[in-house]
Amino acid sequence: MLKYISKICLLVPALFLLGSCWELEQEVLDGVTPEDVANSNNPQLIEVLKASAYSRIVGSWGGHNGIWSINEIASDEMVIPQRGPDWEDGGIWLRVHKHEWTTSEDAINNSWDYCFTAIGEINNLIIGFPDVEALVAELKVLRALPYLWLIDSFGNVPIVTEESLGGNPANNTRQEVFDFIERSILDNIEFLPKEDTRTTLNYYSAQAMLAKLYLNAEVYTGTPRWADAEAAANEVIAGPYSLSSNFFANFATRNSGSTENILTLPYDENNAAGLNLAMMTLHTVSQATFDLTAQPWNGYASMEEFYNNYDDADVRKDAFLEGPQFASDGSRLLDQAAEAADPDGQPLTYTPEINMLFPNGLRQAGVRIGKFEFASGAGQELSNDYPLFRLGEIILTKAEAAFRQGKTAEALDALNQVRMRAGLEPLASITLDAIYDERGFEMFAEASRRTDMIRFGKFGQPWWEKGTSQSFRELFPIPLSQINRNPNLTQNPGY
Amino acid sequence: MRNYLLKLKTFLLALALIFCANLVANAQSRTVTGTVMDPILGESIPGATVLIKGTTRGTATDLDGKFSLDLQAGDEVLVISFIGYLPQEVEIGNQTNITINLEEDIQSLEEAVVIGYGTQDKKEITSAVVAVKPEDFNKGNVSNPAQLLQGKVAGLSITRPGGNPNAGFNVRLRGLSTFGANSSPLIVLDGVIGASLDNVDPNDIQSIDVLKDGSAAAIYGARGSSGVILITTTKKNPKDGRVNVSVNSFGTMDQATNLIPILSPEEFVERGGTDYGSATDWRDELIDDSFSYTTNASVSGGFNNTNYMASVNYRNNQGIVNGVSNERLNTRINLSQGALDNRLRLNVNLSFTNVDRESINNDAFRFATLYNPTAPIYDDSQAALERFGGYFQADVLDFFNPVALANQQKFVGETKSALTSYRAEFDLLPNLTISAQYSQDRSNTLSGDFWSKQDYQVGLNADGSAQRRTNDRVQKIFESTLRYELDLTDGLNMTLLGGVATQSTENQGFNARVKQYLFDLGWDNLGAGAIRVGANTEVASYANQDQLNSLFGRANFNLNNQFFFSASVRAETYSGFGENNQTGVFPAVSLGSDFTQLFDMGLFSQFKPRASFGVTGNLPPSPTLALGVYGNGNRVDLDGDPLTQNDVYVGIVQNSNPNKELKWETKAEINVGLDFGVWNNKLTGSMDYYIRNISDLLFNVPVAPGTPNVFDPGRFNTVSSTWVNLADLRAAGFEFAVSAHDISLGGIKWHPSVNFTLYDKTTIESLSAGDLGFDELRFATPGSPGQNNNPIIYNRVGQTLGDFYGPVLEGFTDGGEYILSTTDPDKFEKIGNGLPKGEFGFANNFVYGGWNLSFFFRGAWGHDLFNSYRGFYENQDAISNTWNSVVTDKTPFVTSSPTFNSSYIEDASFIRLDNMELGYNFTTRSPNLNSLRVYFAAQNLFTITNYTGIDPEVRITDAENGNGFTSSLSPGIERRSTYFQTRSFTLGVALNFK
Repeated sequence: MLKYISKICLLVPALFLLGSCWELEQEVLDGVTPEDVANSNNPQLIEVLKASAYSRIVGSWGGHNGIWSINEIASDEMVIPQRGPDWEDGGIWLRVHKHEWTTSEDAINNSWDYCFTAIGEINNLIIGFPDVEALVAELKVLRALPYLWLIDSFGNVPIVTEESLGGNPANNTRQEVFDFIERSILDNIEFLPKEDTRTTLNYYSAQAMLAKLYLNAEVYTGTPRWADAEAAANEVIAGPYSLSSNFFANFATRNSGSTENILTLPYDENNAAGLNLAMMTLHTVSQATFDLTAQPWNGYASMEEFYNNYDDADVRKDAFLEGPQFASDGSRLLDQAAEAADPDGQPLTYTPEINMLFPNGLRQAGVRIGKFEFASGAGQELSNDYPLFRLGEIILTKAEAAFRQGKTAEALDALNQVRMRAGLEPLASITLDAIYDERGFEMFAEASRRTDMIRFGKFGQPWWEKGTSQSFRELFPIPLSQINRNPNLTQNPGY
Repeated sequence: MRNYLLKLKTFLLALALIFCANLVANAQSRTVTGTVMDPILGESIPGATVLIKGTTRGTATDLDGKFSLDLQAGDEVLVISFIGYLPQEVEIGNQTNITINLEEDIQSLEEAVVIGYGTQDKKEITSAVVAVKPEDFNKGNVSNPAQLLQGKVAGLSITRPGGNPNAGFNVRLRGLSTFGANSSPLIVLDGVIGASLDNVDPNDIQSIDVLKDGSAAAIYGARGSSGVILITTTKKNPKDGRVNVSVNSFGTMDQATNLIPILSPEEFVERGGTDYGSATDWRDELIDDSFSYTTNASVSGGFNNTNYMASVNYRNNQGIVNGVSNERLNTRINLSQGALDNRLRLNVNLSFTNVDRESINNDAFRFATLYNPTAPIYDDSQAALERFGGYFQADVLDFFNPVALANQQKFVGETKSALTSYRAEFDLLPNLTISAQYSQDRSNTLSGDFWSKQDYQVGLNADGSAQRRTNDRVQKIFESTLRYELDLTDGLNMTLLGGVATQSTENQGFNARVKQYLFDLGWDNLGAGAIRVGANTEVASYANQDQLNSLFGRANFNLNNQFFFSASVRAETYSGFGENNQTGVFPAVSLGSDFTQLFDMGLFSQFKPRASFGVTGNLPPSPTLALGVYGNGNRVDLDGDPLTQNDVYVGIVQNSNPNKELKWETKAEINVGLDFGVWNNKLTGSMDYYIRNISDLLFNVPVAPGTPNVFDPGRFNTVSSTWVNLADLRAAGFEFAVSAHDISLGGIKWHPSVNFTLYDKTTIESLSAGDLGFDELRFATPGSPGQNNNPIIYNRVGQTLGDFYGPVLEGFTDGGEYILSTTDPDKFEKIGNGLPKGEFGFANNFVYGGWNLSFFFRGAWGHDLFNSYRGFYENQDAISNTWNSVVTDKTPFVTSSPTFNSSYIEDASFIRLDNMELGYNFTTRSPNLNSLRVYFAAQNLFTITNYTGIDPEVRITDAENGNGFTSSLSPGIERRSTYFQTRSFTLGVALNFK
């Protein structure tokens, strides 16, 4: 009997098994798998994939708490004071300002993630289409772009290419990273178009990348490459670009009219989110000035000293919002929450002076960043195309590279081109400090200041509410969180 | 089923006895006849055993409950017994025809415990299983089955902070054991695995059985890691030919309670607050006592081999804020029919539920507490009429008139769920039964969200916005089992079970959101919203499905009611794991012995030590984690020219890093326990100690983006986290429960019971797998303003899960500024933990004549809460002139801007009079009315605690911290949008018709 039963016990499940499948196939209903991509014969697929890789670069560049933020706040041009209960945020922005950041700051980790996410996406794409020569070439130059930021901010980062298929990569030296970027561009630049492509790489934007790399070569490797920097800048200057007569055309919401922008991140409020400058800098009630559809955060302000350094005749001084503020209908804005201690009272007035870094910075204190147009009716996301490279900077690069090689006349000529466009008198003679100052005026809010300060040896100097900082601060630390994820990483010296 | 078999067994035994008796029968002096009756039902009992005491001679009653027995000299006493009744001895004396009334054995009837794929006698159970019966359920307006059990089962933690009628309950058995798909226990409703609690109304529940340890849950394999709750709905009237109609109806009043003290308008102005010249009690304006009502009606009955139960349950619960409500209509039909002499049994259970929910933006609770008390509600200026619909609004960051917020945003949802299950059982042999069951659990939710054109928070900026969403879920299960019972040798009884199952789950949904309306038409006309791309708009849909196949078996042995042994194994194959890791095997063994059957244990009527070991698994939170799925990227315009639209596509990016090696997480649990009864089971109880080790825990860990994906060789990480089998956790605990039955105090019968749990909090043993390894993971920031970048919970290897870390407040300067131990986040100290050291429940039932009184205390101790209200709104800093401040007895004079520190972590141990009920049963002589009961109940009458926030209830998860994964890792945070606590009073009447 028992024997008979046990046979049944086995039989019934066995019968059932025949009808069912024990190797289960997981279906994907609302996404596509790498196999789907590989098997697709859609003619536009490659273009879309390439654009998707670019969109990783567009990503979070222009938002709060990422690479733009740490570069700006660590420099002497911007600050986020703690305004009472606002913006304390665990003290991160005070620490970044004072060059006392730790190895576990969110924003620093986000910057690393941002760069390497793009690198991962690009590598996956190169692996997927190894035979499409022009695509692979462009992607390799595109991959050098986040490396350009990584070498500048972190220095000794691991080089990860489509061929790095081992486990966790270890650091490369800054020299190796330098060589990798240079080779990536030089080996592939001939495949890039020479037309003005603006939102994708072309020959000139690749030269602009080289110019930036060479300009900072001494910082990155110890060996200056001024002549190469000048040569690359000259290649760009010879291209189809000219200085926009209206400086602010380069930063307008519709800046496709700019004759100067070489490579931009094409932010779009609907399609490509990530540029949040209006939120980041404006006081809450300034919402009514631009009829914004979201309430701003009252954070980023310019530093008083930096602002006051501008010549009053400099048209670029309009890159700041200063003084009494008005609604779009012309009425005076009132800040109902203004502190009793605020000499301006409730009427909203942006003053260059910031009463204190913390804890009770006045809500209205500090001039604000108005370089980029805030479109009327915009929301949290702006539609401006953010210029990563534009001719104005390249001309200053040429001026500096030439000057450092002793070619004073060429340097002065280049510098004066930029000054005159800004409505200033040309200089009669040129000094390194003049070049430094001019770069500051020209490149405010374009995430260039920290790099410039380091190159000019000014980054460790004290400024408002910041003491002397040690030279190891010229690199950000490898984020602790990244070292946890990848134990093969070695921390930068000093941290 | 088990009961049936037992009856059958008894019947067979009786037949055998008759046969034997006839064999040994010799010349008799006389015969005694009789009838065995159930006096309460007035019916005869067929199949009852009638034995002559001290002999093996006896008989069984026939279908009419009659028996006839030949007597020999010296036969003096009959022993009559039947399952479910107390055995009775009768002196024969000179009687020739005896009527014996058997008394129902309440204890015994309760002893069949549902254990998954069947029932088992309580005495045979060797794992940690707790059965809860309706008389022990929580009282009052209980609309969710989980609430019935709150505090009743040691180790089962059920929480719902605040009194939101739309909020679900968080349920955790023996603490957190996974971050995978199911951190709440698996619900098995009438045999349907994974059914939604929406499908059952509390009023229809006959019993709830909680499978606590690994060995009991292992029969549910992959889904059993978080424990199993088996719910059985009222099946039938146990006796033939009767119809039972019952109606239960009650009304409930809710009122807000335990509001945090704030400054009055005068105090606020005196302190320097901005004076708008009015005086408004915002909380008074927002909240109001609410009235809810509920009616349950059911009909049940049975005749021959048919049993049925039909019920309808209507609940209309109103929140204490206008615009918050939950209206629920549930209908159930359970039907079973026997055929072929009841060898074939067919069963159909149908349940349909509609739930309509209305909610407000819970930020209204925060602003009602801290909005400027001198501000008026309304503003009749032209500008305010045009922009804000006549409400007062101040142009201050993140600051909204709470009355306007509650009225100008609206959120509704309607859920329609249907659970249908069909089951057939066939007795191939009297002790061999095959069964097949198919069930479909289907639910559809349609939601609508609305932001008025004049809503200052969202709608004004969007010029009116609305959204429609649907979410559909279907789960289909087919199961087949074979069950075999055998007495192997004398005294050794064996039950075998084998089965196969297959389950598929599909989820899909879609949503659309638009903005810029001319009129506030809301979701009823999305076409009237002009803008359909960009911020505050959306068009999206999703779909996924998965499949799980199972094969399982179990063997139970009972040796002379002295030794018990059980072993089971379940193999599961899940589609969502890596190709080579789809199948997991989950074994369990348990054994126990009732020492009172072996030795004379004096006072003890039961003394059953038991030990068990079981392995369970868990499913991942999404079925596609092993695959490299591309999702939507930015929209890309290939030529960059906005005028040409035929080259615009949505790009694709790899939104998750695939893990092709993803495999089963396993939880191995050892449980040792003791079931005991003293003084003839007047006092019964149990205690359990468990240790569980969770390994290969499914964990979403940070990985380095851009680096090669070690779980998908040849490709690269494109996001900064991957689901991997990473961590090891260890947890342990001790549980104790004891109840006394029918203690007489004069004419009063008292039935107290106590349970408590001591948790050895979950420890993180490791956060490493291969090259990946972490010392800690930080989560949960307090929020805006100013506390956005400082995580306050660090999960560290070697430490307990969910520890608070922060600076220690060492004192204040003369100016009232903090003196903090450090500002360096890496030097923060452990300053608390949100999970409790212990929980307890203490229930009391008193019966006096027709009166009954019950009250139930429960509590938790040793847990901390971050009091967000104090953490943001008690300092007299510069900004406190704009918003009101909370003033608790822990509020010091502080002028610093709020910064997280140890003073905001409060001990939240509490004791609560959770519910009490006073009822009276009227005696009725009506031929139609069986019983009439009137009752009054109160819930949440008082709480004793030192906590100064809204609700000291344990926070198992964090409502504002990302996905279900990180929210489980950050317990103990009371957020500012917490719905206020409520106190409820209920008056009801229950009628039972014949």
